[in-house]
Amino acid sequence: MKTFRISNGMFIAMIVNLIFVKAIGVTQGELARVIGSDMWIATFIGMLQGIVIMYITYLALRKTPDRDFISLGSAMLGKWFAALVALVIFVFYLAAFGPIMITYVYHLQEYFLPEAPISLFIIASLLVGALGCYYGLEVIARIALVGLLFIFFLNGLIIIGSTHEFDMRNLLPVLESGLPQTAAASLHFDADWAMATMLAALIYPHVKDVKKYGAKLGIIGIVTSGLIIVIWAILEGAVLSGEVTAQYTLSCMKLARNAHIGNFLQRYEMIMIALYSISALFEVMFCVYATSVCASRVFALKSNKPMIIPVCLILGAFGYWVVDDHFWALKYLEFYWPRVALPIAFGLPVLLLLLRLLFGKKLQKAKPAT
Amino acid sequence: MSSIQELLKGAFKPSVKENAAVLDQILGNSADVQKRDFLLCGKAGSPGLLCFMDGLADTTLVEAIVRALVVTGSQLNREPAELATAESIRTSLLFNATVKDCPNVREGINGILSGDTLVVVEGLDQALLVSTRGWKDRGVEEPSSENNVRGPRDGFMESIRTNTAHVRRRIKDPMLRFESMVIGTRSQTDVNIAYISDLVKEGLVDEVKSRLNRIKIDSVMESGYIEELIEDAPLSMFNTVQSTERPDKVASALLEGRVAIFIDNTPVVLIVPTFFWQYIQAPDDYYNRYWVGTFFRIVRYFAFLISLMLPSVYVMLVSFHHEMIPTSLALTIASGREVVPFPVLLEALIMELAFELMREAGLRMPKPIGQAVSIVGSLIIGQAAVQAGLVSPFMVIIVAITGISSFAIPSYSSSLAIRMFRFPLMIASGFLGLLGFSTMFFALLLHALSIRSFGESYLAPASPYRPTDQRDTMLRLPMWMLDERPGFAQDVDRMGDNQMPATPLQKGE
Repeated sequence: MKTFRISNGMFIAMIVNLIFVKAIGVTQGELARVIGSDMWIATFIGMLQGIVIMYITYLALRKTPDRDFISLGSAMLGKWFAALVALVIFVFYLAAFGPIMITYVYHLQEYFLPEAPISLFIIASLLVGALGCYYGLEVIARIALVGLLFIFFLNGLIIIGSTHEFDMRNLLPVLESGLPQTAAASLHFDADWAMATMLAALIYPHVKDVKKYGAKLGIIGIVTSGLIIVIWAILEGAVLSGEVTAQYTLSCMKLARNAHIGNFLQRYEMIMIALYSISALFEVMFCVYATSVCASRVFALKSNKPMIIPVCLILGAFGYWVVDDHFWALKYLEFYWPRVALPIAFGLPVLLLLLRLLFGKKLQKAKPAT
Repeated sequence: MSSIQELLKGAFKPSVKENAAVLDQILGNSADVQKRDFLLCGKAGSPGLLCFMDGLADTTLVEAIVRALVVTGSQLNREPAELATAESIRTSLLFNATVKDCPNVREGINGILSGDTLVVVEGLDQALLVSTRGWKDRGVEEPSSENNVRGPRDGFMESIRTNTAHVRRRIKDPMLRFESMVIGTRSQTDVNIAYISDLVKEGLVDEVKSRLNRIKIDSVMESGYIEELIEDAPLSMFNTVQSTERPDKVASALLEGRVAIFIDNTPVVLIVPTFFWQYIQAPDDYYNRYWVGTFFRIVRYFAFLISLMLPSVYVMLVSFHHEMIPTSLALTIASGREVVPFPVLLEALIMELAFELMREAGLRMPKPIGQAVSIVGSLIIGQAAVQAGLVSPFMVIIVAITGISSFAIPSYSSSLAIRMFRFPLMIASGFLGLLGFSTMFFALLLHALSIRSFGESYLAPASPYRPTDQRDTMLRLPMWMLDERPGFAQDVDRMGDNQMPATPLQKGE
């Protein structure tokens, strides 16, 4: 059977796309509410933690590069454990769909289509998500590359439009809330890269040079995302100030509205959102893919395609439940989502690494994953 | 019908009368079937028969056959007994360039229907098939749909052999191969597969042959028939098979390791695999200096984006997001729309459809009338519609720019696809604003990313990203930098090292 291989660049692009959208969309506002203008430091600390967990994820799979977390679990402790791992990842991505929808729906609805019903946004995004998932991982990986290109354009536009209002004094004093609180706040960003480490846990076996460069690629992905996002954190802090950023759920939109090029182009946030939407829809698409893959493993199906429609229905209902009420959405985003994401993101790779150390010999005897 | 199939399976018999009866039964009394009897070497005991199609066969060549069989044979004092086999007649009597033995009836009939002349002689159990193809062709002309300013002006025509010769003249490489096959149970259309055997992508020729062999159809009237039966994405609006009337394009494709498919009776040749970006490239890009080539290529990329998205963006902005339009521009648009009774989407759809209507009418009409239709349509009706307050002047400008941009795309068939994609994008934007636009654009992008052309990703080398091939995608770098063929070719090196020209140093420098 010919197995599709994701190129190294595509893998990095997938990581960046998955982290970027929520991290610039809503996370900076969350961070500003906790630590003010030190958001960029919290993002940086979060990035370092992301590097560690990405490396642990790689270590767990290093000796068996043809396996993902689910098949690794199967090889070590049998099918029941594989189903459990699949269920945990399913729950992770189901929970992740909440913040993704908060980011996507509120960006478009509140700033561009205030009268449109929420269900419209959810249905439209799930339709293209399902389409991409139906086309398969190859297409998902390819569109990530396009999304990365658009992210670079977007960053270019925001830098060009914001630098004239850049005021370094807004970023001072540094570490106003102290290092421990800043480090604690970084957990909000951890919940963003958690999606990327879980992505790696599922698609590492499809990456072209996973055996040789697996760790390097994952880390480059996290670092690239971190650096791209830090630009927004610094701009939001320096242009808007920490206090103003904290007032907004979607602080990036405030920054985008503030940006202008010359006198003629006073408002171009729609161009930025058009560029941003590729990455946002990529997130939706990957959620559909990940949940459908996990569901198909739970039900021992050979292909994830039969599960696309069922998981879309589940994701759609869950997404609607989260974003329907603005206050509940914020509570979910800031309180519940990190409590679901972080134990899984930190715990699952560590657990599988420990099990791999315990069952190393058994793994060697196991048949290669199909 | 079944008896004719039986006759076709049979072999020629030694009796001229029996063979003539078989030919009569199969070909019937068609007015264009010509039979000419003769006496081999002028001897009464050896009658023979020529059969050919009037209009397809060159009568001068047919006369030469008769002269050789009757006059030359007797002048050389040959006896029919000495010419007892088809081979002996072929080697010692006939002086036509292409003659072959023809043992079975099907081959003979196919030959006659293709313009060859069938020769049967009393006592021979084989016939002879002499190539006498010669019908009236139009001359070599400049391709009407692929114009260029600099470069060769010759285009393909309806004769497959003339078309292959056009390419052979450009590539005098012994490794250039033309493989022949026939498609169409009734049309028996000649199809040639062209490739350079030491350059072509490995496995591609076999793949092309297997797809062509799979075709079971009664007739092939044009290359479009073949295109639709071999393409990778039959449900897609994108063309995954390139078509061209230009021999230089085919030659350059073959030199890149691709395969060309020539079909008889059409001036359009198919090229596979193909990539989306090739439709935006023109031969002039390579014939002009690279600065000019790159500049106009970028202009065409803009034209592509405008053609695809401008009406949708306009509809989206004016319907939903007017706050995004710079104030002075928004006021201008609003003043123009003040008297228009239609919503923007409807106005755009009406104008786009009117434009397509004018284009189609102009195309189908005789040329002088077609021009008149275009002028009347675009100038008079457009002006009248604006004055009547049915459409806004800004919408006329948008539709006109979009139309002109779509004409700037060198591949006509591809520009048609882009024109069609415009409508779903526009409708989605008109109903859902930015949400509709981004969702539809994303779906379109997903679809384009998912399709392939003979194993190659349609959007390569952009996705998957191939750094080396970027030298000739968005930009056209200098010829001395285009030193490699696409990665799928067997031999990627196309140029020696250090080809960048430089002024030679003067003595003493």
